[in-house]
Amino acid sequence: MADLALTAAVTEFLYREARLLDSRQFGAWLDLFCEDAIFWVPAVGMDRAYTSEPETSLNFMYIVGRAGLEARVFRVESGGSLASNPLPYTRHLVTNVTVDSDGPEGIAAFANTQVVAFCEPRGQQILNGSCEYLLRRQDKRFRIASKKVLLLEYVIDGYFDFFTV
Amino acid sequence: MNATTTLSNRRGFAGYIDDRPADRVFRVDRAIYNDPNILEAEYRNIFEANWVFLCHEAHVRNPGDYFATHIGRQPVFVVRKPDGTLACYLNACGHRGATLVTKRVGNAKEFICPYHGFCFDTAGKCTAASAAKTGWSEQHLDLAEFDLTPIARIDSYRELVFGSLSGAVPSLREHLGAATALIDIFVAPAPQELEIVAGFSIYETRCNWKIMHENGPDAYHAPVVHNNFAQAVSYREKREARAGVTRTDTGRLTGRIESASYDLGNGHTAFWHKRRDPEAFPIYAQRDELSKRFTPGQMEWIIGRGRHMTIFPNLLLNDLASTHLRTYRPLGVDRMETVIWCIAPVGEPKDMRAARLRKFEDFFLPSGMATPDDVAVAESAHKASFAFDSKWTNMGRGMDFKIDGPDAAARELGFTPQASSNSWDHEIAMQGVYRRWREMMERGEERLRG
Repeated sequence: MADLALTAAVTEFLYREARLLDSRQFGAWLDLFCEDAIFWVPAVGMDRAYTSEPETSLNFMYIVGRAGLEARVFRVESGGSLASNPLPYTRHLVTNVTVDSDGPEGIAAFANTQVVAFCEPRGQQILNGSCEYLLRRQDKRFRIASKKVLLLEYVIDGYFDFFTV
Repeated sequence: MNATTTLSNRRGFAGYIDDRPADRVFRVDRAIYNDPNILEAEYRNIFEANWVFLCHEAHVRNPGDYFATHIGRQPVFVVRKPDGTLACYLNACGHRGATLVTKRVGNAKEFICPYHGFCFDTAGKCTAASAAKTGWSEQHLDLAEFDLTPIARIDSYRELVFGSLSGAVPSLREHLGAATALIDIFVAPAPQELEIVAGFSIYETRCNWKIMHENGPDAYHAPVVHNNFAQAVSYREKREARAGVTRTDTGRLTGRIESASYDLGNGHTAFWHKRRDPEAFPIYAQRDELSKRFTPGQMEWIIGRGRHMTIFPNLLLNDLASTHLRTYRPLGVDRMETVIWCIAPVGEPKDMRAARLRKFEDFFLPSGMATPDDVAVAESAHKASFAFDSKWTNMGRGMDFKIDGPDAAARELGFTPQASSNSWDHEIAMQGVYRRWREMMERGEERLRG
């Protein structure tokens, strides 16, 4: 029997994460991550299977450490990135939240996401993801130790970034 | 009728290129980016009339390995035959033309059409037709009627596989010409062969293919478009106190550095820039071993310089932020597909491989911190190509500094470009691309006229 209270707490946390991204509170979003957090979006191989060994295979993103995410935020907020200027608006839809385990490593949770992004030059972009989270409890709050996004779309229309998945 | 059509009728394709070296003028009519008739002519006269890049031999290493791709509009697949040679066929069943190979890659002893079940071997021979006996009398059943159509030419250079739908082409080596020396220096340092690292990326861009092709030999844009990349990684690397091979060499993006660029002939281009931080690259760890195999001049090319080349019309190979193989094709006059791989030495130490991959992800992917800005600027240039009344895209930068033939660095490596230039941000190499474009388009139209 699933721990429904925990599932509800995790769901609430993921909703809050989505809301921070959609409202462009990227600083507050970064604060959800542990200092040693991993943010991972695997690529696919020519056989269409997701890449699973980041040390030996290519990924859309494999960011180890919060500083790598901060650099991403720095870039999109710098105004110097044409792809991020104007910054697309997003709506993150988070569904199918399940908690798979709660152990010494942390809480393993799953969610499906659909992220609709819109900006004037390119119009609408939709990216569908399956997200695997590892959450730690720190100071009575959840912190993201790892977030892995398996994208449904591997032929990319244009480009994407951390806030559009 | 817009002005372009009139121009094309009056002066042929030469009218699209304003090429006056004595006046230091080189300009391209922006209509070449958005006229659907020009794309049709490019398919016919460029992509389907000469050598184009297909894949790397590592994609089809073992007998039966196949790789599906396109030559211009036409779907093809490359397959490794049991005798180890490569073949390439149009990817259409010899019976009713269904797509025969439906996956990008795979391995097969025979190919079975998903529509009516006709079978083909790796030599392209039709070996069986479904229910043959009830469909044809014995004297009229000739399976050879259904054989696959091979492309006219297939060959590889240093494991880069090229094909041509036309048989009336020079040898691949002749076609590559001066580019072979640069391909050699890309490949030769690897102790064994190169491999395609697992994982790849495809992205579609809303621009004419030539706008993205121009972005390759164009280093002039880098300090402008990618300044935000340099700042973002510098921030990260200060914050993490990164050392050695996990660092990023952003010197090329933030200040003037020694560099050169080349019009290699046949529309191929190259440039190099001096690396400010050669220790940030995996190959630096091999310098002692490499110095036994290469002269000091070659070592400067291998260790000291970031290198980049484009092979007209559809291959880009570089060792800049990381080692990168890219191919692209038009999907329409205003849409193109780009496919990219990380290419790396077989047997590379794990920490070096990981560093190479992270650099690749930082820069080259549609989810990286640089390529999205290239895409955005290419798409904006495509939109502005409809500004017919401003007409000309100017590619004259650096003409005052052009050297006919090789510079000292080219002589050192032993290649003879059409022209050299003492800066990577000159537009001399791009002029070679458009002269080749004009030559192929005019030659193609002459063939059509008979």
